Amino acid sequence: MELAGSEKKIQALFRELKLEDERVAPGFVRVWNRAQATSLRPRRAFKISFAVATALLVITLCSLALWSRNWRRGQESNPGVAGGSATPDSTPPSTSAPPPATPEPMQLGVAEPRNRARSNRWARKLAARRQAELTARNGAIREAVAISSWQSPTATLMQSPAHDVLTSLPQLDRSAAELKSFLPNTPK
Amino acid sequence: MKHKRMDISELKAELERLHGPSFGWALSCCRRDRAEAEEVLQTVYLKILEGKARYRGESNLKTWLFAVIRKTAITEQRKSLLRALKSIPRANSTTERSSFAAEPAAAFERSEVRERFQRALECLPARQQEALHLVFYEDLSLREAADVMGVSIGSARQHYERGKKRLRESLDREEVDYGVSWERKENPGAVS
Repeated sequence: MELAGSEKKIQALFRELKLEDERVAPGFVRVWNRAQATSLRPRRAFKISFAVATALLVITLCSLALWSRNWRRGQESNPGVAGGSATPDSTPPSTSAPPPATPEPMQLGVAEPRNRARSNRWARKLAARRQAELTARNGAIREAVAISSWQSPTATLMQSPAHDVLTSLPQLDRSAAELKSFLPNTPK
Repeated sequence: MKHKRMDISELKAELERLHGPSFGWALSCCRRDRAEAEEVLQTVYLKILEGKARYRGESNLKTWLFAVIRKTAITEQRKSLLRALKSIPRANSTTERSSFAAEPAAAFERSEVRERFQRALECLPARQQEALHLVFYEDLSLREAADVMGVSIGSARQHYERGKKRLRESLDREEVDYGVSWERKENPGAVS
């Protein structure tokens, strides 16, 4: 590139700067060896970003597995959804004695192909499980009712004859006569 | 134009040959901070050793190397900015920087003219500084400078022209005595 006039002056200043830089420049071997030493140094095997990503992945997988398990359990507890035609007219939950679980699914399985028999077996199992759950739930309800209405046999002994006086307060706007009648033991 | 690809020993020899100009360019990219420039240069060599920066012979080696230095300097500056924001002190460079600062003689040796020139240069926008440095200091053509800067030749020319104009104005303001500075005996070939 051909330079003229002030460009030459600028170049002269740059050259001077270059001379100064060359004087203070670090040796190539020193910089190269340091770079080589750094490259040979063992790298940190553990990277934070990698660990975070792995943790996130594990958490996602675990929550997915839990959710699918819960969903399946919910499906099983609802035979109308899970078993299809397994127990279409199943009895509603009541406190009466549970009917025997076997007859209903057995009726459905009559003269059906082999795969139908398998589904019947599955439906029967589900119905039995449901009945067991219902019985357990009803028993628990009965127990809860009994516990909540229980009273101690000596509870009446805890009541005093002056219970009304002790638990009530005279109102300020009452007359003196009423107050006297309210407090029967006061001397007249 | 396809250039010759090199193995590591050849590359090392070439890098050694270009070490001086590379350091000068690194200095320019690091706002004349010597410690930072040395660190940048070391990172560049490390990149080459690890194969992260690979010369494929697609351009001139010097142009390629300067482009790598420029990118590394920008990355290092970003990192140091982040570090400053997080206020984490740097373990290695602080000691090195202090060792550089402990060279009062070097600081005194700088002539007043050079000081003024550097001040005028620092006033220029980064792109203009780069264009001027590559052309005047590294003796690259405008096309090569454009390759290093990663811009078109037209853009590089514009940066160069504007930078030159502003530098001239700024030097005039600073009243730099060219007659003294560029006719110095240690640099007689500067004006011919």
